[in-house]
Amino acid sequence: MNHRQRFLATMHYQPRDRCPILDFGFWDETLPAWKQQGLPDWVTHENAHTYFGMDYSLEHCGYSLHVGLRPGFEWKLIEDRGDTEVVQQEDGARVLRSKVRETIPRHVGHLLVDRPSWEQHYKPRLNPDDQARFPADWEQRLPWLRNPNREELVAIGGGSLYGWLRDWMGMEKVSTTVYDDPALFEEMVTTLADCSYACIEKALQSGAKYDACSMWEDMAYNAGPLLSPKHFKKYLMPHYRRVAGLLHSYGVDIIWLDCDGNIDALLPLWLEAGINCMFPLEIGIWADPLKYRRQYGKGLLMLGGFDKHILAGPKEGILREVERLTPLVEEGGFIPFCDHRVPPDVPFDHYLYYLSCARKLWGKETGLPAAQWSR
Amino acid sequence: MEPILKEVYDSILEGKQKIAAVKVQEALDAGISPATILDDALVAAMAEVGRLFEEGEYYVPEMLIAARAMQAGLLLLKPQLVKANIKSVGKVIAGTVKGDLHDIGKNLVCMMLEGAAFEIVDLGTDVSPEKFVEAVKGTGANVIALSALLTTTMPNMKATIEALKAAGLRDKVKVMVGGAPLTPQYAKEIGADGYAADASRAVALAKSLLS
Repeated sequence: MNHRQRFLATMHYQPRDRCPILDFGFWDETLPAWKQQGLPDWVTHENAHTYFGMDYSLEHCGYSLHVGLRPGFEWKLIEDRGDTEVVQQEDGARVLRSKVRETIPRHVGHLLVDRPSWEQHYKPRLNPDDQARFPADWEQRLPWLRNPNREELVAIGGGSLYGWLRDWMGMEKVSTTVYDDPALFEEMVTTLADCSYACIEKALQSGAKYDACSMWEDMAYNAGPLLSPKHFKKYLMPHYRRVAGLLHSYGVDIIWLDCDGNIDALLPLWLEAGINCMFPLEIGIWADPLKYRRQYGKGLLMLGGFDKHILAGPKEGILREVERLTPLVEEGGFIPFCDHRVPPDVPFDHYLYYLSCARKLWGKETGLPAAQWSR
Repeated sequence: MEPILKEVYDSILEGKQKIAAVKVQEALDAGISPATILDDALVAAMAEVGRLFEEGEYYVPEMLIAARAMQAGLLLLKPQLVKANIKSVGKVIAGTVKGDLHDIGKNLVCMMLEGAAFEIVDLGTDVSPEKFVEAVKGTGANVIALSALLTTTMPNMKATIEALKAAGLRDKVKVMVGGAPLTPQYAKEIGADGYAADASRAVALAKSLLS
């Protein structure tokens, strides 16, 4: 089986030689930290999956029309504060970020604050008919995309209905907008959905064969969702439904959604709307892939869900967790990996140990590309 | 409850900022004491917000607009409370620990604590252990609330507690911790006095630590 066949067989509960072995990626600080612990200098984010003997990187399987802001805003340095700096990102948000360590930047200002700023700066950048939405090499790659027998897994980008708004406005402003100007909130969500829908439709109408769709939201934190289920149902669900319906009509039946945090309250609503695969399943003190399978059955597909705390802890715990997840891996519909990018507090030899356990129990040590470290 | 206090209470619960301010002013004009308005309307309403949040009736937006309405009322009350020499129920120093710039959770905790009549000293983000120690010395706070989002910054919670010990201040303040990667067990391991899973529970924890 090739990587693509193995991924699809796993997600469709079909017979396959083994489970794919992958990861979500690594914090920027992780690889340098590991180089102090024995990782060769030549290993980078780009080639780490090869070094570790993984099947492929999920980060590199996306190829589709650009569904976000076109054009983006100019990236610029606003203020250098020594160890930190304030920058304007391509999405228009101004953030304070660390220059010396990886951390989630703190939003300190936004261009999107109200209806006039929406209409002036953002709405025009969400025109689905903008030719710049097509990648420059789209025409050349179409034959490859149309080939039903290609070896590579390819996911179409499905965009975001809430997460981008949170980034563009800040969490507090987008939250209060739901009450202060519900018509604006609804219009923004609808515009995002319309743009995504039109881009996806163009890509699918071109004859491109996609294996999955990937969406991004990040609309939850450790205590639950950032938007109430009531508002989720009212504003977001109809659009998830129509995007999922479009994808299904072209045979794309794996729609994975990236949402960190505690997604328990939203998960059944996503499933109901046709979004059937959750990623990266942050464990925290709330989640467990086995619990989710018991709760939602095989209709829920899962990517991730291996607790990063366990990777940083004793090796006995790593083996125990790999063993605990093995029945679910064998059942299918689940590809485990670290429940977010691997952080630098995970010791290098623990990660190698985790991979050796994973290769043994989930990979059955058959057909895996050779890991550089195990030679 | 006086009808005007009920109106203040309802306006906060419904997140009606302007109405909350108007009704607090009406309550003051009616001769109701600032302490009564604070306790019976503002604090009571925010306690109900916390209960509704814990029960899954309210979420972050509802909590935010309620806190915003409460703050509009509190702004009018504060000068009166100072004049009447009304003390807060406790003083809390809050901040995200060194290396962590993420402050959404910390801000929610501060809002809910303020709504429970705590005085807040918000040190912001990326706060070093030394800054926490200085703040304890300078403010006489009786609680520190430490927040961390990342597994890599969690150890700075322990470093802060160690710094408090080294400065001879550990017995003078209670330390509560919270944040996405934390667990109650981790809180125990680093010697914190308590862990709260969310902003509402942080209020209950702060109260219990001072009781």
